[in-house]
Amino acid sequence: MTDIRTTIDDWRNRGAHQPWFRRYEWLAIGLVGWIAAAVLFLPPFGKPTPLGAAGVILWYLTGFVLAGVMLTDREKPILLKRATSLSVIVLFFWLFYRYSGTRWDRVQEQFFNFSRMDGVWELYAQGLLVTLQLSIVAAVLSIIFGLTFGILRTLGNPVIDLFLGLHVDIFRALPLIVSMVLIFYALPFLGIRLPAFWAAVLALVLMNSAYQTEIFRAGIESIPRGQIDAARALGLGPGATMRFVILPQAFKIVIPPLTNNLVSLVKDTAVAYVITVPELLTTAQQAVTWKRTPTPLVLSMFVYLATLIPLIHLTRRLERRLDAWNVR
Amino acid sequence: MSAVSDTKAEPMIEARGIHKYFGGSHVLRGIDATIARGEVAALMGSSGSGKSTFLRCLNRIEEPSQGDVLIEGTVITDLRTDVNRVRADIGMVFQEYNLFPHMTVLENVALGLIYVRRRPRSEAQETAADALKRVGLADHVTKHPQQLSGGQQQRVAIARSLAMRPKAILFDEPTSALDPEMVNEVLEVMRTLAEEGMTMVVVSHEIGFLRKAADQLIMLDAGQVVERGPTARVLDEPEHERTREFLRAIR
Repeated sequence: MTDIRTTIDDWRNRGAHQPWFRRYEWLAIGLVGWIAAAVLFLPPFGKPTPLGAAGVILWYLTGFVLAGVMLTDREKPILLKRATSLSVIVLFFWLFYRYSGTRWDRVQEQFFNFSRMDGVWELYAQGLLVTLQLSIVAAVLSIIFGLTFGILRTLGNPVIDLFLGLHVDIFRALPLIVSMVLIFYALPFLGIRLPAFWAAVLALVLMNSAYQTEIFRAGIESIPRGQIDAARALGLGPGATMRFVILPQAFKIVIPPLTNNLVSLVKDTAVAYVITVPELLTTAQQAVTWKRTPTPLVLSMFVYLATLIPLIHLTRRLERRLDAWNVR
Repeated sequence: MSAVSDTKAEPMIEARGIHKYFGGSHVLRGIDATIARGEVAALMGSSGSGKSTFLRCLNRIEEPSQGDVLIEGTVITDLRTDVNRVRADIGMVFQEYNLFPHMTVLENVALGLIYVRRRPRSEAQETAADALKRVGLADHVTKHPQQLSGGQQQRVAIARSLAMRPKAILFDEPTSALDPEMVNEVLEVMRTLAEEGMTMVVVSHEIGFLRKAADQLIMLDAGQVVERGPTARVLDEPEHERTREFLRAIR
């Protein structure tokens, strides 16, 4: 008997120094009030009125505050905290399920309708092939130009710097879709007619080589001055110093930002859809009109994910491997 | 007199009126120095006195603003000289070792032989291994520099210079970045080199080492030579007040 009393006293004393809203009594009262509000005032299933939606959001945010009080307290038991954070997340999806107005009965029939996919797979294969060609050609050219421009920028020649600086500024600021549309739809008026594929490559290379110029320049400039001194003191010329001493070290530093850039390049190939390049998204869209179901479009999402998630993880593994080299 | 003995009489390194400006500041104000073949010359001076800058001017890692550097009588500050050729013949050892971290110890030492001396790879690696043996690091050839202690790294840096069979080696505060217990292993290697007759220019404040190894001591202050002479004489009977002050401060 006394045992239980002491336990309760312990609990009370433990929170004695805390502000009132952190104490279990008040948290319990808050929770009960919050649940009561849900039972009494939450609108029924389906798309709510604007006022109802505002109420739902307000109600969720109140719960968020309660959860915040719980989670920021160092002395609350870890199990309670886990349960709290889990409920907050589950609640979010439940609210979406209940009030987004989505026709959940149609998901299977519309988004995953495999009965009408004859001939679509072959189309996908062609689209994926074009996406890969576009990615590889654009990536290789971007690296070649980015590396060259990056090296040129480290030379500190003011004229070269001005032009390369302009290139970097312009194509980092210009949205990819704008330059692509300009190249494909505006340049023909001046007599420059590029096939859609090469227009897409040009736009991708212009933008990504601008980003990579900066990546390579930063990588090269991060090599300590002493490395250059040592190489030059051995009698290596500027070219050999770059090739044997600076670049091998710069490449290692550059790999994480460079692979990030290459991943976004692969993603950005989808923009070529607007200039009718028959890449993955375009073929998916064609299949949608042909088969009268959005399933191909949904599947194309999975194809992108299946290609890019492994790539991202690969780069992360590579980063960790490179870290392991650096014993220092 | 034959041509051979003529070149013998010529100093190995000679600096004539070296000036250096960094932007507005006048760092070297007309320094002359003569280092004979096989001589060990020490440069001393407080930080900012220009001793490192002067050393770096001797192989044009730093370009002198004015004045000439002569190696065996050839003016290397002439724009027509192939400076890479000159540098290949003059080793340099840095305070921060500056080994190449992406190469093994052996590759570090062989790099110059392969790409500057144009030796076949296998021969270069043999020479490199010999040089590493001379500094007592024969067991570490396959390691990367980061796996070695500071003293070992500095010895690799010395071997990297030695492998090129240089006419002279410049040492820029070779023991200043080292933990105290590693200073001696590096100085030991340098002393052996001095005894073997290597021409050396050393920026160092290791008095004990200088006393044993250095023939000539040059004291710099504010970009000028304030005193020079045989090491023992300068250390024991400094003539200039600035030298006395400096020696008192570092002891």
